[in-house]
Amino acid sequence: MNVVLDRVRRHLARELFVVLACVACGAARAALPFNLPPVNDPASAEHHPGKVIWADLVTPNLAAAETFYSGLFGWTFQDIHTVDSDYGIVLLGGRPIAGVLQKAIPAGSDQRQPTWLTFIAVLDVDAARRIALSQGAKSVYEPRTYPRRGGQAVLSDPQGAVFAMLASTSGDPPDYLAMPGDWIWSSVFARDPNRDAGFYKAVFGYDVFDLPSDDGAQHVILSSDDYARAGINTLPPGHRLPHWLNFIRVADAGESSAKAAALGGRVLVEPFVDRHGGKIAVIADPMGAPIGLMEWSETDSKVEPQ
Amino acid sequence: MSIKFAPWKVGVVGLAALGIVAGCLVGPGGYDGTVGVGYVGGYYAPGGYDYGGWGHGYRVAPPRGGPPAGHGGRGAPSIPSHPRGR
Repeated sequence: MNVVLDRVRRHLARELFVVLACVACGAARAALPFNLPPVNDPASAEHHPGKVIWADLVTPNLAAAETFYSGLFGWTFQDIHTVDSDYGIVLLGGRPIAGVLQKAIPAGSDQRQPTWLTFIAVLDVDAARRIALSQGAKSVYEPRTYPRRGGQAVLSDPQGAVFAMLASTSGDPPDYLAMPGDWIWSSVFARDPNRDAGFYKAVFGYDVFDLPSDDGAQHVILSSDDYARAGINTLPPGHRLPHWLNFIRVADAGESSAKAAALGGRVLVEPFVDRHGGKIAVIADPMGAPIGLMEWSETDSKVEPQ
Repeated sequence: MSIKFAPWKVGVVGLAALGIVAGCLVGPGGYDGTVGVGYVGGYYAPGGYDYGGWGHGYRVAPPRGGPPAGHGGRGAPSIPSHPRGR
């Protein structure tokens, strides 16, 4: 009898230990801060308010997104899994350049689509957000701090285009020409580019330039530190929803578009020669998130836009 | 019947319990009193924004160096031209 009792006692003790260990691990995992990488590594004191320094994709299928973008741009991924988040850090040459968050598409009657969210550098999220709200922006996500990344907040501009602001604790990446596979340009498509430019100037301190247009549509350049940071375009006729669009530098927009289609994406805007002499195109990944492709040679192109 | 644990097991269970308590006591911080636990974000855009319709003359790219005259006689700048590491 004593032998049986002793076995039961040992078994119960073992089970209790395993259960408690599992609970402790789960609790510790849930309590861990979401460990995003620093935007700038090695860290510096360099800051470029107004510069686009990060982008996040939200998608219902992280694995499918990673397959698509690694095949298209040669990106690699480092995944972070917590109890309530699955997030892939996009690496280009070992350097973090973006993130991919897996999240179910919200249920409901209004259709929603995956998208890339543009992060613009600020020195102080609270101060920049206050200005944005006073200028007609709306809060989408309240400010949040992540230990190694910094503070960030998500807003929509007065015309409805959604963007994020980020005060990086590791400084902002230095200014350089994007290598193939990296972000090279960002555009806002707005109903009234001039009014939108006024908003972004007030929030980020941009200089604003109008560019000549062949078709009457406005094209405004937002700059800081004497570099063009983003453009604002008139929404094409028939389009109704203002939004941001980010571009990746590619060697050949035609080849990349074809590759995107072969990987399950769609070509939304066929490659065409733009004002800089290179081609641009717009594609959507297999889940529907749009992303731009842009050629940019290191020497001035002699090709005239057509 | 009393259950007796080996001392090392008591130590491990104690540490685990401490972990649970510590997990429950993660304090506030950050701009709004919260430190990110899990990732808050993931904005899904309204469906229906589309592309195409970028007719002849629709330009999206930045200018290159030597831009046309802009505000106040200054031309719009271009993007950085020097590659990383050079």
